[in-house]
Parts: sequence; structure tokens; C-alpha cells
Amino acid sequence: MASEDTSPSHSHHRDSIKSSVTNTAANKRRQQAISIGKERREALIRAKRLCRDSIFEDDKNEKGLDEGEMVIDEEQSVLNARTAQTVQELKSSLSYQGKDATRKTTEALRALRKLLSKSEVPPIEAAIQGGAVPLLVQCLSFGSTDEQLLEAAWCVTNIAAGGPEETKSLLPALPFLIAHLGEKSSVHVAEQCAWALGNVAGEDMELRSILFAQGALLPLTRLMLSNRGSTARTAAWALSNLIKGPDPMAANELIRIEAITDTIIKHLKTADEELVTEVTWVVVYLSALSDKAISILVRSDVVPVLVNRLVGSESLQLLIPVLRSLGNLVAADAYITHSVLIVGNDITGHVLYGLIKCLKSEHRVLKKEALWVLSNIAAGTLEHKALIFSSEAVPLLIDLLSAAPFEIRKEAAYTLGNICVGPTKGSDNKCDIIVAHLVPLVKGGCLPGFVNLVRSADLESARVGLKFLELVMRGYPNGEGPKLVEREDGIDAMERFQFHENQEMRNMANTLVDKYFGADYGV
Amino acid sequence: MDSMDASLASPDLGLGLDFPFWVASRRRFKPDDPFFASGNLERELLAKHVALDLTEDERYQLQRMEIADANLFCPIAGCGARLECLEEFEDHYNTRHIASCSVCYRVYPTSRLLSIHISEVHDSFFQAKVARGFPMYECLVEGCGAKLKSYKSRQRHLIDKHRFPSSFEFYKKAHPSKHQRQKLQRKAYKSSDAKDHESFMDLDGKKESKQTHPNHYRPKQESKTETERESEMEVEAKLDHPETTETKVETKSETKKEKPTTETEMEVEDIVSGISKLSTVDASSPSSVSFGHRHSRGFAFVPRSVRNQNQNQNYKKEATRKP
Repeated sequence: MASEDTSPSHSHHRDSIKSSVTNTAANKRRQQAISIGKERREALIRAKRLCRDSIFEDDKNEKGLDEGEMVIDEEQSVLNARTAQTVQELKSSLSYQGKDATRKTTEALRALRKLLSKSEVPPIEAAIQGGAVPLLVQCLSFGSTDEQLLEAAWCVTNIAAGGPEETKSLLPALPFLIAHLGEKSSVHVAEQCAWALGNVAGEDMELRSILFAQGALLPLTRLMLSNRGSTARTAAWALSNLIKGPDPMAANELIRIEAITDTIIKHLKTADEELVTEVTWVVVYLSALSDKAISILVRSDVVPVLVNRLVGSESLQLLIPVLRSLGNLVAADAYITHSVLIVGNDITGHVLYGLIKCLKSEHRVLKKEALWVLSNIAAGTLEHKALIFSSEAVPLLIDLLSAAPFEIRKEAAYTLGNICVGPTKGSDNKCDIIVAHLVPLVKGGCLPGFVNLVRSADLESARVGLKFLELVMRGYPNGEGPKLVEREDGIDAMERFQFHENQEMRNMANTLVDKYFGADYGV
Repeated sequence: MDSMDASLASPDLGLGLDFPFWVASRRRFKPDDPFFASGNLERELLAKHVALDLTEDERYQLQRMEIADANLFCPIAGCGARLECLEEFEDHYNTRHIASCSVCYRVYPTSRLLSIHISEVHDSFFQAKVARGFPMYECLVEGCGAKLKSYKSRQRHLIDKHRFPSSFEFYKKAHPSKHQRQKLQRKAYKSSDAKDHESFMDLDGKKESKQTHPNHYRPKQESKTETERESEMEVEAKLDHPETTETKVETKSETKKEKPTTETEMEVEDIVSGISKLSTVDASSPSSVSFGHRHSRGFAFVPRSVRNQNQNQNYKKEATRKP
């Protein structure tokens, strides 16, 4: 293929080789970009939130000072030096016994807080190195003024927004943060502590376990009941970080709290979309991790309320957790498809409408996760399959199967395939083929997309493609299936597997080729 | 492998086919499953107070990035090439697993198979040795080393010793028309083993440019009657191979379907010029075996990445839109 031959018909071979050679340089750059991107991506997934502004408007400490401006624009080394110095000042004020001790401490705390919140890159490392943590713990102890508690908690919040080592250095502060969530605390202090805890919980499972063991769950949940919007939001977000697992312990404990479901429903109905978003993420993790929660949620009002949000909201930020909650519930429990989303009920029509809306959206995440939900509904009863089949979803599905990015195509494939087979598996391990659905879908042009999946390097997709081709070849009337598959280059695609390294794939493909394109094909 | 034997042994009842049939069942994912990764990322990108300072550009790139792109390797046995992303696989396959014969334009996934093909199909010296009883037909599996005396016995060897599917044919006749299949069957009944080669050769020589097998690069065609297809194939054949003299000869000879030996003789001259123009295969081809495809290379090969550029443009819009 590296052709030495000069005939024109081979020049395009050379071009394709040439382009693949020059592309290695570009590929290397891309690879680097991907690895940097991965780091940043992973940092983001740790779900930390930096507190830059006071959590309450009317903060008299912010007014009138030009340090209320956003950025302390200094070189990192200068910043670090200032930080170290500020920590020293805090230290000395704490050991000072004199009359002004409280005021001095408060001022030092505030200065440190500003460095940690107004700088573009907060000098977290410098603060820790300077010994800030034990001092902050001291400030968080009982007996400090509300102002000190607030400033100290704020400092801890931003330190906890750092990397793993930095966050872990805050272990001594955790019990105090949890304690100050209590109902006797000033609401601002409680909120700031919740924020700090949210950052700590976002770090990893180990810290989540520690927080759970120290009893953070209950007070955070109580705080979520607050009438104050920002407090409820912060508490909900922190709670979602606390229960996100993968250990289901916290989620299982949460659902056992009395009236939690009612609280959730109440919040899901409010006008404050941000609050709804954070609470929905709590539902996401409950529905992903706790079977008990699933069982309760599917029988509650949560489902209809979520469906209303699905239909009514245009906010991507809200739709993602709404969609996912519904997805988790549908995936986990047959109750939903069989008893809640009964075909004929309004709610079922609404869900379908909402999912189709997501399919039409431009956002990849919405499309992919909506398809996932749809595919699970399509795995339900015959009525569900008929409902989806006769809706406007079908042309969208075929289109997505043909032209969308890979991960979306796979989900569309699952949905279309599920529509074509009956719900029950026979003794021969086969489901009945719903010919009345299969034929129009094939006529509607879905075959090329499936053949394309067969060619994929992703094993799961290839399997999905092959399984669908089998359906067509087995179930398409008048034995026309194999011909149709051949026309779309299906044989080609299947034959590629004869030398696939995976034996299961080889067998799958060979079995089909043997059966449908054997020596007597077409005779 | 029981599954193989079962499909060989059992009558075609549709039952007992060892295949993981499609079963509609709900799929559930754990919260940390990569399936949710892009949604989780989106949550953070949209959130206020994000701890990470992201530039507009980074934000855009992160949104666009394929999350599941780690550890992707070419699945063709013996290749193992690292793939950057799934979309790249098609191009990789088409550039690394395709070796083409400049004589008949048949395409093979490795250089070894290509050279086996050339010996067996385009080399009259090979045929001469076969006629004198030398075992010339190499086993297709690299490292086996077995040589068989006939195409058929090599076929049997592959099926028995290496578990190839019973439908495997090194000389893919590309699903000839019903008419041609019946002719072949009649010939097979009449002639002995030795003659079978000629009939294979025969068909091979004749059918080079005939393609009943559609491929990617042609526009989709409606189903036609056989005669329509055959004449169309001849037209296509002329389009495909306008330059080389060998094929002109072959195209003419297509219309004559007798006298296999004279055709072989004719080819000998062509082979001399043909062999000198042989395309060599790139050295990094995989060591394992695969068989020939009937892809016409008469059309320009456009990598999927280029063809998809238009689609990518559309998806670019998606990421920059604010909710």
C-alpha cells in the first residue's frame, strides 16, 4: 500500500499515507491538549466552588473599601509573601491577651480571607505552609464571635477549593464546621460552613466517609429547609456532594430522614430555578445509589414534578439533572414504566414530549441522556414501543443514528432496536420481532447507521449493530433481510470481524455470515 | 468451539443458532460511570463559583472533547495500533489494513496475503508447479507453514485446523449473480479437483472488474435485474480501469466465457508487466490473516475525518450557545 507504483490510480493511496504522516505531528499536539484537558477536566469533576463574594448583600465589611474590587493583581511570589505575613499576624493576635485581641484577630482573619478570595489564583499553598490551618481551627472553636466564625469559615471554604493535599489538611476543622451548621448558629455562619463542607465533600470518597461518620448529613439536610434561598441552595449543593458516592451509605441514610421526600418535592416546585437544580442533583444521587430511595421516589409525587420540569424548562443546567433523575428511576425500577408511565396517561405523553424536546436540542448531553431514557422506556411494554414508534421520535432517531457523534448514535441504536422486539424472551433466548415496526424503520433508512456501528472499533457498538442486523435478516418478511443487509455493505462489515482479535466478535459475525450468506445464498 | 460445530452440524431451523440475540432490557449506570462524565462536566462548566479558572477557549474545548477516548486500540488481530478516537478507526482500517493488487485491484489486509494472492492468481509458474503435484497452496495463517496441494484442501485445512468459517473463501467471488453461480455448480459437478482451480481462476480472471458487490464510495443504487447489473458492471469496469492494458484485455475477455487455458496464457504476458507494477505493502501491516475485499479503488479515497468536517461545523455551534 505504500505504493512505489506511479500509475495515477494509486496516487490517492500515496496522498492518504502522506496525510497520515504529517498528521502525527498534529496528533501529538492534540494528544498533549487532551492530556492537559484531562487534568483540568478531573479537577472540575471534583466539584469545588470558590467563594469570592460575601454570601450576604449588605455586608458592611465590603462597602466603602476598594478592596471590594475583584482582583488583587500581584505576582504570585508577592502574594505568597503577603499571605505568610498575614498568617503571622493572625497568629500573634490569637496569642495576644490584651484588650483589642478580638478586633485584631478579626482584622487578620479578614485580611487573610481577602487574599484567599480576591486573588486570581488564591494563595492556598502559601496559607497552609504558613500554618494557617491550626489557627483557623482555633478561630472556629466555640466562643468566637459570629464575625470571626464567618471569616474563618470563609477562609476554610477557599482552602478546601484547592487540590487533594490541601483539602485533606483541613481535617482538624471538620467537626467544627459541622457543629456550626446547628440551628442556633447565625444563618450566615451556617451557610458559610455548609459551603466549606461542600468543597471538602467534593474532593473524594474518603473525605465523604469521614464527614458522614462525623455526622454531617442531618444538619446539612436541616439547613436545606431554610427559607433563605442562598442557604437552601448551598446546603443542597453540599448535600449532593456528600451523598454522591460511590458508596451508597450516605444516600441510604438520607432517604431514611423523615419528610425528606416532602422537602424535596416542595423545593422542586419553587420558582427559584437554581435551588431546583441543586435539589434535583440530590435526587440524581438518591436515585442512582439507593434502592430504597428509588422505591420511595417512584411512588411519590417526585416523578410528576420532574416530568413537569422536563417539559417546562429551557435551562440546560436544570434539564441535565432532571433528565438524569428520571433516567435513573426508569432504569432501576420497572414500576415506573408499568405503573406510572402507563400509555394513555397524560404523564406518559408529557414524558415523551419532554424527551423529544431534548432530542431536538443542540446539546450533546441532553440528546445522549434523553436517548438513554427513551431506550429504557422502549424496553417496556408493547404499548410503550407502539407509542414511541408512532411518535415524531422515529425520524429523529434515524437521523441521529446516521449523523450524530458516536455516543449518541449508540443510544439511538438501542432505542430503535428495543422498539423492534417484544418484551418477553422465549425459551430459545429470542424476543419476538415486531415486524410492523421493523419494516418501516428499515424502509426509513436505519440500516446504514447500524452497519456503520458494526464497523466501529468499540465492541459494544459493533455488538449492537450485529444484533440488529440479525433481527433484520431473521425477521424481515419474504426473506428479504439478507439482501437488504448486503446492499448496505453489511457483508463487508461483518466479514471484517473474521480476523478481529476478540473471539466473541468473530463468532458473532461468522455465525451470521455462515447462516445468511453461505454457499446457498441467493440460489 | 462448540458454536462453530453446532452451526455446521445442525440443520437450518433457525433454532440453536449460537448468537446473542437482541433482548430489550433496561440499562442502568452507576453515578461514576463514564456515560455520565460529559453531563457531570457540563454541570461544573455551567455552575457559578467554579473553582477552576477557565478561559473561553478551554471551556469550549472541554465541552467538545470526547470523554471516552482513552485506551482505544485497533481490534484487528495482531495490529494493536493506538487510536486517538473512534472516528479515526475507519481511516486507520482503510490505510493500514488494505493492500491492493495492481493487476486485478483486489484488496487485502496484509502484504503476505497480497503476495499469496499474486502467486496463486497471476503467476503461471505457480500453476505449473501445482500441475506437477507440488504442494503450493500456503496456509493463510502466518506461522503455520503448512502447504497444501490444492485450493480446496487448503480450504479444508483452514476450516479444520484454524476454525475458519465454512463460508470463508480466499477468492471471494463477490456473490456472483445467480446465473453465474449455477454455471459454477454445473462445472464443479463435471470436473475434477484440478479443474476446479481453473474454474476459480477462470471466474477470477473474468470477474475482476465485475462487481455485484456495492461499496461505500458509490452512490446507492436501486435493485436492478441481472442483465442490467451485468452491463452496468462492464461500464463501471471500463471507468475503473482506464489506464492499464491488462484490464483492457480482461474486459474484452469477459465477454468470452470459455477456454480458461487461453486466458491464462494471455495473462502471462500481462503478468510480466503487471508484476513490475506491483504495489508493495507498507511494512507495518499486521501479521495475522485476513481475506480480500472487492473494493474498487477507482474512486478517490476520502478519509472520513475530511468527509465529516461539514458535520463538525454544525456541532461547533452547539458548544458555544449559552443555555
